[in-house]
Amino acid sequence: MEHSTLHWTLDSPKSDNCLRNPLHKQQSLPLRPIIPLVARISDQNASGAPPMTVREKTRLEKFRQLLSSHNTDLDELRKCSWPGVPREVRPVTWRLLSGYLPANTERRKPTLQRKREEYFGFIEQYYDSRNEEHHQDTYRQIHIDIPRTNPLIPLFQQPLVQEIFERILFIWAIRHPASGYVQGINDLVTPFFVVFLSEYVEEDVENFDVTNLSQDMLRSIEADSFWCMSKLLDGIQDNYTFAQPGIQKKVKALEELVSRIDEQVHNHFRRYEVEYLQFAFRWMNNLLMRELPLRCTIRLWDTYQSEPEGFSHFHLYVCAAFLIKWRKEILDEEDFQGLLMLLQNLPTIHWGNEEIGLLLAEAYRLKYMFADAPNHYRR
Amino acid sequence: MAYAYLFKYIIIGDTGVGKSCLLLQFTDKRFQPVHDLTIGVEFGARMITIDGKQIKLQIWDTAGQESFRSITRSYYRGAAGALLVYDITRRDTFNHLTTWLEDARQHSNSNMVIMLIGNKSDLESRREVKKEEGEAFAREHGLIFMETSAKTASNVEEAFINTAKEIYEKIQEGVFDINNEANGIKIGPQHAATNATHTGNQGGQQAGGGCC
Repeated sequence: MEHSTLHWTLDSPKSDNCLRNPLHKQQSLPLRPIIPLVARISDQNASGAPPMTVREKTRLEKFRQLLSSHNTDLDELRKCSWPGVPREVRPVTWRLLSGYLPANTERRKPTLQRKREEYFGFIEQYYDSRNEEHHQDTYRQIHIDIPRTNPLIPLFQQPLVQEIFERILFIWAIRHPASGYVQGINDLVTPFFVVFLSEYVEEDVENFDVTNLSQDMLRSIEADSFWCMSKLLDGIQDNYTFAQPGIQKKVKALEELVSRIDEQVHNHFRRYEVEYLQFAFRWMNNLLMRELPLRCTIRLWDTYQSEPEGFSHFHLYVCAAFLIKWRKEILDEEDFQGLLMLLQNLPTIHWGNEEIGLLLAEAYRLKYMFADAPNHYRR
Repeated sequence: MAYAYLFKYIIIGDTGVGKSCLLLQFTDKRFQPVHDLTIGVEFGARMITIDGKQIKLQIWDTAGQESFRSITRSYYRGAAGALLVYDITRRDTFNHLTTWLEDARQHSNSNMVIMLIGNKSDLESRREVKKEEGEAFAREHGLIFMETSAKTASNVEEAFINTAKEIYEKIQEGVFDINNEANGIKIGPQHAATNATHTGNQGGQQAGGGCC
């Protein structure tokens, strides 16, 4: 069991357990990856950046030009953002790409002000209803889930941050009764929150104490996170409506796609009776956020927001590329259990921008080859 | 790894009652106070020994939220055992047991062994559900019952192992059709070979029990 050994090394408190009960040493396998805090978030996407190369400087300059021109050329901005957005301009770029901010520079400030007021209007109007009978279940579920969102990052254990997440999710849920709040949506606030927070924070955001920020700053971060998350969810609502048809459809599409692009892996799954739904449900429900370190998700979302239907459609190709990335490890596993443990705990802990860049390039290639050729794609 | 039998389990119950923590304590012997929430279903496994035989447990841990019910339901069918979990510090999680039980009975095979678990027994000061209430519910519905603490590991081994013992006994009694994998039981590779010889000699379903 080569892979379980690999997972074990990532898994700190197990050694004494094995001593306590040597009988179970080989059989007991880790349930989920234990991701060290530092590896999870601290890199150029969320915190203090390494020195810039000339190429990076030129790129940043290009972004600054685009962003400050009277009418930002959104097509051009998407093109530039696809391979990754520099940290310095990511907050404003994300606001533009998500469709939250208008391209016209003069309209941005009043729009922001209006939208932020609108959001806090919702809070005033609805938030008190969280303890009323018809909203009680929704609120209680969110309330239970927030402390379990990013449990290993200190930033998210701060009461102020948890309250922000609760308000965002509750307001979104009651304004979208067709789906309501579904677990997994809580994760989707995180990248926006971290990126908008990074606008005010020079050091590592993961340990930042938000009480250092003014009320106004916190309100802006909260409202912007709400609106950008809402825009994202608008594109994938059928993932969260009754019986989650969007996810069912995408997992099926993933299966079909993989059967075309890597028959060997596909047959390997069939042979050991592994069903795609058993591992890929979470990939779709949480947009791979559970499988990747947060810094990678942020980089991934640069591209998702630059790609037409990034979160709904392109994500499928990213999942396929992600699966095939592990083909060797998959083919090495020769029973159901080993396969499931591997697929649930893929070792992406050290991944950074480079790995995501390669993954996206492969996904793009797959999309190019298969998306526009339905006959080729269909069996 | 050779095993005599493989049993499939499912863990069900309201959100936040400690299903994933029970599984983690059982498979990894550790407790994670703040656990990532389970999305859809997640898988865990461990080998145990009953009556000198190696038994592999494959366990599906399900998300408690109602929204995932359409996904999690499909895992009942192939399960030989179910752990139905509530939180002794939250009365509502106990009140929902009837719904869970109906759901389980409706979607599983009729012989599935169900273990009722009152979890978080370490939080005595916050207890809202008496042990006797759990016992009474279990008696009334024909379930096995235990109070556990995923945090202190109290009764966690027992909960998983006693469920397996019950399944094992049912196999001995010939209640389970072990050749039908939809029952959540599989005969191990070695065992299957022995079994085949027996089948040749004695024929029929008894063979499974006969060789044990």
